[in-house]
Amino acid sequence: MTQGFEWQPWAVTLATATAWIVIATGLLQIAFYLVQLVYAAIGLAKRPPVVRSAVLWRRYADQAPPIAVLAPAFNEEVTIVESVNSLLALHYPEFEVIVINDGSKDGTLQRLIDHFGVTRVDRFHELSVAHQPIRGIYANPRLPRLLVVDKENGGKSDALNAGINVARAPLFCSIDADSLLESDALLRTVRPFVDEPDKMVAVGGTIRLANGSRIASGRVEDVRLPRNFLALVQIVEYLRAFLMARLALSRMQALTVISGAFGLFRRRLALEVGGYSHNTVGEDMELVIKLHRYMRDNKRPYRIEFIPDPVCWTEAPEDLAVLGRQRARWQRGTLETFSKHKDMLFNPRYGRIGFIGFGQVLVVDVLGPLVEVAGYVLVPLLWAIGLLSIEYLLAFLAITFTFGVFISVATLILEEVELRRFPHARDLAILTLVSVAENFGYRQLSNFWRLRGLWQYLRKQKGWGQMTRKGFQTA
Amino acid sequence: MSLIDLWTISLLLSALALLIITGLIVARVITGRRQREVQAQRGKLLPLLLGSASDEELAELRRSGPDILGSLVTELIELVRGDERAQFVATATRAGVTCTLRRQLASGSTQARAVAAEVLGNFPDELCTAALEEALDDRDSRVRLTSALALASSDRSPPPQLLVQRLGLGIHEHSLLTVTLLSEISRQRPDEVRALIDGDDVPAAVKAAAIEALSSSGDYSLVGVICRLTLAAGDLSPELPRYLRALGAFQHPAALPAIRLHLASSTWWVRAAAAEAAGRIGLAEANLELSQLLDDNDWWVRFRAGEALTRLGEPGRTLLAEASRCGTERARDAARLTLAEQALTA
Repeated sequence: MTQGFEWQPWAVTLATATAWIVIATGLLQIAFYLVQLVYAAIGLAKRPPVVRSAVLWRRYADQAPPIAVLAPAFNEEVTIVESVNSLLALHYPEFEVIVINDGSKDGTLQRLIDHFGVTRVDRFHELSVAHQPIRGIYANPRLPRLLVVDKENGGKSDALNAGINVARAPLFCSIDADSLLESDALLRTVRPFVDEPDKMVAVGGTIRLANGSRIASGRVEDVRLPRNFLALVQIVEYLRAFLMARLALSRMQALTVISGAFGLFRRRLALEVGGYSHNTVGEDMELVIKLHRYMRDNKRPYRIEFIPDPVCWTEAPEDLAVLGRQRARWQRGTLETFSKHKDMLFNPRYGRIGFIGFGQVLVVDVLGPLVEVAGYVLVPLLWAIGLLSIEYLLAFLAITFTFGVFISVATLILEEVELRRFPHARDLAILTLVSVAENFGYRQLSNFWRLRGLWQYLRKQKGWGQMTRKGFQTA
Repeated sequence: MSLIDLWTISLLLSALALLIITGLIVARVITGRRQREVQAQRGKLLPLLLGSASDEELAELRRSGPDILGSLVTELIELVRGDERAQFVATATRAGVTCTLRRQLASGSTQARAVAAEVLGNFPDELCTAALEEALDDRDSRVRLTSALALASSDRSPPPQLLVQRLGLGIHEHSLLTVTLLSEISRQRPDEVRALIDGDDVPAAVKAAAIEALSSSGDYSLVGVICRLTLAAGDLSPELPRYLRALGAFQHPAALPAIRLHLASSTWWVRAAAAEAAGRIGLAEANLELSQLLDDNDWWVRFRAGEALTRLGEPGRTLLAEASRCGTERARDAARLTLAEQALTA
């Protein structure tokens, strides 16, 4: 190719440097994933025994601290009654469900008033963290576990802050109003708080996708795989994220995220760090980072953990536009948090969280999509002008893809050996095929969405964008 | 790295992934088939376990294999009660289930050991007791504590002082289940738990747990001891709120000096606990201090003070009504909303 033409030394150096940056970042990511896989396996093997709910109740009910379940709701008129009924049916000794109507424009509040018979009440509550004004608090003496907070619209973090202020339990559980918690999820999640009451600050549980599964009376009755390809790919992604990454980072005491869809926090500490931040869409990640920072700055021993058993089911987007917006928003949230706390990166004062937690965010979330997309664009370009060999290009691409498949399959081992939530053997084969197929098109698209998130971050775009809820498919 | 190396790595990764998934699917198919057989077998074994099995039936139970029997007993033992349970335990023991569980407790994985300890608590024979006592020195703290709880719930616990040492209670082991453990022991041997409170070399956290375990006992002689500990504890002592809550649980007016002292604590969580205790006891003598706490910097203290005043009856409500009219803005809010929440008129 291009015989007789000699490239300038700087062009060759640039091409070589580009290739090496792509390779080095790829290798670093591979190293992170391999270490995570090992730690996740150890974490699963060493977790407390998964005992029946009855045993858990007998042992833990007396000592389990009260929990306030915070469910922010915005335009959830269609699903709110079923969601609240499902929350009220949770199996836990002492809990209150606080539904925060975040200035919905539809009839969410009226549905709650009509169905649960709640009326306006006075409640002495804290004003420690800032949020939009509360318009009213509603309760029904016959349903002492339910409290409805009606407030002006301010976004999810604002609604959660109102919930934290109104709550009186020492622990709060943040969830999405359209998620379904398994009935014993709170009892399983609270275990670390009972086992290590002095140190435990926050605990996250597993989020799984209910697309395709049969749901009845607010419970997932029969776990099935969805037919939609996007939902299938997200199932593989969630398995990697929860059963590998979060479990491993938790084991290393370097967990940087507890999903906003299901996390249990010590209320007082959340207040002391100022609650959820308003100026980010990554408020769940930022709260965890603020807690790490606060505890380390004050030299207090603490633990933030992820436990794989308690499950919260949620609905994954099944069309490209909604999924794209969600992923761009997640990326923007990560970048906002990373940027806000960048002084923690490789800062010895923050120990593992600075080196491992933030290091992982830097390599996987900040540089990862940039370098991968740069690789997709530049490497073929450099090959086209004769500066890179096609043989090497293909060989590296092959390694990248086969390693991705290997990691997904290895995560399936963890799922199969320790949890076994998929009932049929063919589900495993389907998920393996999906983990191969995702490399051709979905992976590139996903990186493109993340770059869009970067662009939104650079333009300082705020807000969540339009969210479309399909609602759970009930039996 | 040569091209051949790169392609070899890719091929190896692909082969490994293929091998893993094939293994998983084959294992799933085999275990699925096995599970159906096990399920059928369990259906047959269940009535035998629940009845007084004859020698022939016992032999059939033993033939089913220790794993199936062990897992069946582990699952069912929590579901049977009364005479049925005694029958179940007797039959399972004769069928040799305890041998399997004891073996698991000695050499299984951490999870298996913890589960075995939990289940063995239901088997009162000496070998099981010895196995559980040995497990008090297990390498995993969860197994140690589960074994102690299993022994305590069946009235076989070693002396609590010994448990404090062997389990490192209050030093390495800080679980709230320590309170459950001491409560279980105190049902039969309250004096031994009481001795922990007086012991010089007992960690403060264990003393607090012992106090909580005994706080529903109605033994008012404890009030003086708890008062002494409360008065001696520093403002930052993590046990102090637990002492104060215990005083509240006893509802004895002799706690007044200790509670009055800590209503003026420099630590918010101590003031809040003291206010809560004052309300539970109905300490009208502390009503002025409680009224002042309606203007506390910390919301939780204001909330507890308001709640305590409503519990004092008419004098407390009068003070709240007064604060809702003439207090600072913060105290007015606290008093007004407390009265409104309790549906009392100012």
